[in-house]
Amino acid sequence: MIYIVTAFHAEAKALIEHFGLKKLYEPSKFQIFSGNDIILIESKEGIVKSSIATTFALTKFGAADKDIALNIGICGARENTFSKGDVILCNKIINHYSKRAFYPDILIKHSMKEASIESFMHPVKKDSLPLEIEGDIVDMEGAGFFEAASIFLPLHNVHCIKIVYDFLDFEKINPVEIENLIKQSIPHIESLINSLLKLNFEFCNNTPEIDNIPLLVNKLKNSLHLTTYMTNELESLLKDYIIRHKKLPDSIFEFFEVQINSKKEVKNYFDKLRKILLS
Amino acid sequence: MTSSEKSFLAKHFSHVYVEKEVLSHPVTIKILENLRSSQIVKIDNYKEVFCRAGQNYSLQEKSKKLILAKKYREFLYPGPSICHNFGYDNFFYTSNILNCIYSCDYCFLKGMYSSANIVVFVNIENYFKEIDAILKNQSLYLSVSYETDLLALEKIVPFSSAWIEYAASKQNLTIEIRTKSANFKALEKLKPQDNVILAWTLSPQEIIEKFEHGTPSLSSRLSAIKKAIENGWKVRLCFDPILATEGWKTIYEKFLNQVFGELNREKIVDISVGVFRIPKDYLKRMKKAFANEITAFLYEELENVYTYPKELKEDMIATMISRLEDFLPSYKIFVV
Ligand code: SF4
Repeated sequence: MIYIVTAFHAEAKALIEHFGLKKLYEPSKFQIFSGNDIILIESKEGIVKSSIATTFALTKFGAADKDIALNIGICGARENTFSKGDVILCNKIINHYSKRAFYPDILIKHSMKEASIESFMHPVKKDSLPLEIEGDIVDMEGAGFFEAASIFLPLHNVHCIKIVYDFLDFEKINPVEIENLIKQSIPHIESLINSLLKLNFEFCNNTPEIDNIPLLVNKLKNSLHLTTYMTNELESLLKDYIIRHKKLPDSIFEFFEVQINSKKEVKNYFDKLRKILLS
Repeated sequence: MTSSEKSFLAKHFSHVYVEKEVLSHPVTIKILENLRSSQIVKIDNYKEVFCRAGQNYSLQEKSKKLILAKKYREFLYPGPSICHNFGYDNFFYTSNILNCIYSCDYCFLKGMYSSANIVVFVNIENYFKEIDAILKNQSLYLSVSYETDLLALEKIVPFSSAWIEYAASKQNLTIEIRTKSANFKALEKLKPQDNVILAWTLSPQEIIEKFEHGTPSLSSRLSAIKKAIENGWKVRLCFDPILATEGWKTIYEKFLNQVFGELNREKIVDISVGVFRIPKDYLKRMKKAFANEITAFLYEELENVYTYPKELKEDMIATMISRLEDFLPSYKIFVV
């Protein structure tokens, strides 16, 4: 699953159209769109709201290790080394208030510029720019999104993509212009998503037998009434056995149908299983 | 790695994370000159990047990043008991680089750190200062390539030559630079030093291909050793770790014949031999990140160290020693 978090509908619109997403009409505090293995959630403005929306989406839809989370939106640039419409992949994300910094793992090539971003609670303007600012670009969501998403997902799967909208001298936001800027950035975003999918698919793939382990372990846990400790040990032993023998032990299937009547029997069966797996 | 894999992965050191405090350190400047196309990301402390939660070690190995930092305190550590001191008293090791550009399946670093990225402590002068103080009162045997392969990184971080130049002026210091690199060229211009041992870890080509990812072939390591010997360097050979992979006896037999068929055995300072062993906790962590023949083996535990079952271990050592004694006197063979 790919999770996209935007602040405003103007930022989401082009993505919704491009990826063919449909609005989810389930009761929720957020506008959520989904389709083609993508969930897009609109958080509204600010670090806290972005963090809440990210947590909500990743929890509600059950984030798994190979899922990807992206925060996509506009930003302001401090320097004129950037141009309006530049698409930026953030390599450092700073929360201006907590001073915590977050670092996504950029393991793949991409076609964007890179910069550090600093997130504020309020719009930042050039003439009120704090002295101790470090980010090359500023926004109001990145840090909230990243801190939340990185609790659920590995760091190579969490990224902030920002499109330069202004140079901190803006007066009014123009939704149509934002929509167009996001639309122009989609090829970069799509290519990043494809590379991340490839990375997760090609390098996180186990053998089919190892992929089946959680299912097997669960079955054995239920049939043998295993404790959590035993279940964990079983999982590790099974994995090693498969690596050593390139297959499952034939006799393992006998343990699926066992009738357990006492704790002593649990222990006996587990010891038997253990012995098989340690060969 | 195939070219299609390479095409979408960022190359090693595509990003260099630099502690603000060492931005203007001469070593930092030199390293960054060698990595002009890398993205520089400023950080406060290397642990922010190196010790983050949520890193995927095995994926990071495909695109390692460099972290430049400053080391405080503890520049030397006493040599661990699972390593050999080769008869020297005061065996210490030092780590001004953490992690390695190569990726051996059996490497203890995989169980030691949660990140595959490479940390370079650029303030090598502080290491030298600390050693200066110790050398006033005692001699020192120092392993300087302990948590990395220093020579393999020489093109980017010229620390092997820095250590050799430092050791050149120190009478009561002996250093060992252990490597799998074939990059002897990087040291060719230096004068060989009596108190510097270049130690090459050698493995059969079959083992290299299966377990020592990214390392030079056996034949290129042997060529590098030949040149080092010709140039007058002291060379140690390390057959460590010997791995109990299928057909190990035949594999290692053929390997020893090749090694001593090519090298002038008289010129080898000594040899160390050891079977695979790893602290218990490290193996536990390795298992979480990797699933392979090394992590899945049924080891025996001895004082919190996992190694091969006693009989197998004894057989491996005895086999190696008996073959090695055909080539070298036994006083030159150290068993770890
Ligand atoms: S060369 Fe040495 S330090 Fe590097 S990965 Fe291999 S075993 Fe580890």
